[in-house]
Amino acid sequence: MDTASHLSVILDLSPTQWHLSSLPSNTHPLSVASFLSQLLAFLNSHVAIKHENSLAVFGALPGKSVMLYASTETGSESTELADSNTYLPFKLVDATVVERIMDELDALGDPEEEEPIALVGALTKSLCYINRVMSPSTSSAPGGGTSEDQTTLTDPRILILSVSPDLSTSYIPIMNSIFSAQKLKVTIDVCKVYGEDTVFLQQAAHLTGGSYIYLERRDALLQYLIMSNLPPPPLRLLLSVPTQDKIDFRAACFCHKNIIDVGFVCSVCLSIFCQPIPVCSTCRTKFPMKTLRRLNEAMPPGARNPAGTPSRATPAPTASGRGTPAPGGPGRGAPVPSGSGRGTPTPGGPGRGGSNGSSRPPGGSSITAGLANNLR
Amino acid sequence: MPPRRISDVNYMDVDSDSDVSIVDDDDFGGRNKKGKGKATDKKKKDKGKSKAKEQPYAWEASYTRSWDTVQEDEAGSLQTAVADLMARSRRRRLLAPSGAIRRTIIRHLILILDLSSSMLDRDMRPNRFDLTLEYAREFIVEWFDQNPLGQIGVVGMRSGLGERLGEMSGSPQDVLKSISERHKIEPAGEPSLQNAIEMARSSMSHLPTHSSRELLIIYGSLTTVDPGNIHETLASCIKDKIRVSIVSLAAEMKICREFSDKTGGQFGVAMNEGHYKDLLFELIPPPFLRSTTTTTSSSTKQTTSIPADLMLMGFPTRLPPTSAPALCVCHSALKSEGFLCPRCGAKVCDVPTDCDICGLMIVSSPHLARSYHHLFPVKGYIAVTTLQDSPPPSQNCHACARPFPPPITSTISEGMSPLSRYKCPDCNNDFCTECDVFVHEVVHCCPGCGK
Ligand SMILES: [Zn+2]
Ligand SMILES: [Zn+2]
Ligand SMILES: [Zn+2]
Ligand SMILES: [Zn+2]
Ligand SMILES: [Zn+2]
Ligand SMILES: [Zn+2]
Repeated sequence: MDTASHLSVILDLSPTQWHLSSLPSNTHPLSVASFLSQLLAFLNSHVAIKHENSLAVFGALPGKSVMLYASTETGSESTELADSNTYLPFKLVDATVVERIMDELDALGDPEEEEPIALVGALTKSLCYINRVMSPSTSSAPGGGTSEDQTTLTDPRILILSVSPDLSTSYIPIMNSIFSAQKLKVTIDVCKVYGEDTVFLQQAAHLTGGSYIYLERRDALLQYLIMSNLPPPPLRLLLSVPTQDKIDFRAACFCHKNIIDVGFVCSVCLSIFCQPIPVCSTCRTKFPMKTLRRLNEAMPPGARNPAGTPSRATPAPTASGRGTPAPGGPGRGAPVPSGSGRGTPTPGGPGRGGSNGSSRPPGGSSITAGLANNLR
Repeated sequence: MPPRRISDVNYMDVDSDSDVSIVDDDDFGGRNKKGKGKATDKKKKDKGKSKAKEQPYAWEASYTRSWDTVQEDEAGSLQTAVADLMARSRRRRLLAPSGAIRRTIIRHLILILDLSSSMLDRDMRPNRFDLTLEYAREFIVEWFDQNPLGQIGVVGMRSGLGERLGEMSGSPQDVLKSISERHKIEPAGEPSLQNAIEMARSSMSHLPTHSSRELLIIYGSLTTVDPGNIHETLASCIKDKIRVSIVSLAAEMKICREFSDKTGGQFGVAMNEGHYKDLLFELIPPPFLRSTTTTTSSSTKQTTSIPADLMLMGFPTRLPPTSAPALCVCHSALKSEGFLCPRCGAKVCDVPTDCDICGLMIVSSPHLARSYHHLFPVKGYIAVTTLQDSPPPSQNCHACARPFPPPITSTISEGMSPLSRYKCPDCNNDFCTECDVFVHEVVHCCPGCGK
């Protein structure tokens, strides 16, 4: 192992989840403070293992994502911190990371309801950062001179320390990030520190060849991190690093979030449904009666869906509280009122565990509402 | 595609006579803006030698290659030229419809290769045939990357016959294999456009209406030997809604132009190796659904024309590498890994595919997800021209956290920001030039909005 490696760490800093995690009722309670001290030890070992190793730390906060530290960006203040008893790079990492986290957490204030964690933002930012540092800049650098002295990142990888559950609206962006990580040849490792397994992150680790660890002994976080996340990807050919054996790539239907084996997919927007429906609830495309009849006949008798018969029912037969269908019903060419964000049945992204429209934050529905308007 | 470093252009010194290496590097066209500039100055010296070969006809002069337009500015830097290229792609992005678009996601393409003796012509290096095979391979790989649910079949035209080289398949390996054995598809005789198109048409006749039916013909000859009236074939292609795109390596033929014009395909004559590849690769992104144009004009009569359907798809169970080995239905090979068809339980090696036993289309959810960025593109960022009207501007790019460079004083082209700042219309964050390109071309997700 001669080459330096780059590590981007994404910290999930959801106050609620960390509070739950530190409750003594857990088998192995873990507080933010003890998490941070173990994490810093891990970050220090990454810095120590090779002088050229680079490090970046990102924080995913409620509704906001920030870069906490980047080894390529440290500026002038480095000398002030000098202290004869500490190795300067360690001190730099530790001080910067802790200080920035405190600042950000203080700035959060005390809202009644916590916004969802901006994991997607942190993930895309870390990809942008890797992309920017990996490829020498051309256009924005005056004179184009910076390209040669730029450090190039080798074997970049991202480690996500997650405590929050999957957010169904982030399915598409997370998948897009995974595919771009594949293009950049970035490995994504996931360490689930608290909470249920997250299916999205399992897929992220699987598709990029990273490891996914569910922490069973949370007091041994540092040990897990050092054993499985410290070795860079080339070394992992020799060490066997825990991966997931059972990831199921089955999909959840948009209408009930049920995990299904066989589903009905809209050919225009690729929404997945568990029953044949006459009108796609995402893009409002109408399906030919012939297909519906054929598919209904192919369905096992018990699962037959009355809405699939030519009765022209509402687009999403099960969309309780999901708004009304367009005026005029699904008749051909009935115009949808523009800006009908509230009335559009909007499944979350095609996601497993995807919530249906009713529980989506308002922001999420605008894509599909826009979609519906655009398509009519 | 990893961006090419500037230092890579050293190859130019090794063999400046060879067009092949030049093209290999330059044909990335608009896609790779980095590092290509430097090739230019060398190219200029080269021009004397190669000019005679590159522009034998006057009609070729109308085509300007992207690398010929790159000019150094007074300071000898290529910065302006590169910036210009980026500005062009940015403008294109802003022109594109912002909201969601409809594209044909499920595509069926038959690649028709001319295997007549005209393909042995050496006007492209090493010759038309070998270059075509090379580009076809790259085309197939890239096509499957962007159209994970599509299928490709391959037909050859040789000795007046159409020859089926590869059946319609969703696996890139299968398709690549059909053109991998060069000695089996050695060019010979005359091509027959009609025979080949009829053969391709017959293998597409069973396809469902919601999927596209496309033909891509690579045509090197200037003649065709047909058993009947080719205009009848054209009429039946129009009737079957088959889109015929033709890349000609020789010159424009009226019947070819007619085929692509009347079926809604594209037609192009390759001027040189780089242009040849550009023509092919233009056909890779999923096409817009044709009725989108009518949608804007009137809101009452559109949906009728959009071919849409509800498809039955199976989501398989993935067998881990540790499971007990069993025979697969596709190759009859003993393997541990694989996928189980959810309807009949047959084991297949790879997805997406149609189950060999029960015919169910088997896909995994990431395959569907790979197509979503075509349907939900990121809004184009707006170039920031002044910092006056905004609240205190951020010092660093919102995505990569690097400081913005000092303002550019020299002239800049339209669509570029003199401050190298690009603002997301939704979250109002500023991004640098690199991140703007990266977000729109790779990530397809705004780091500020998180969607
Ligand atoms: Zn359902
Ligand atoms: Zn749809
Ligand atoms: Zn097999
Ligand atoms: Zn089957
Ligand atoms: Zn940036
Ligand atoms: Zn944004």
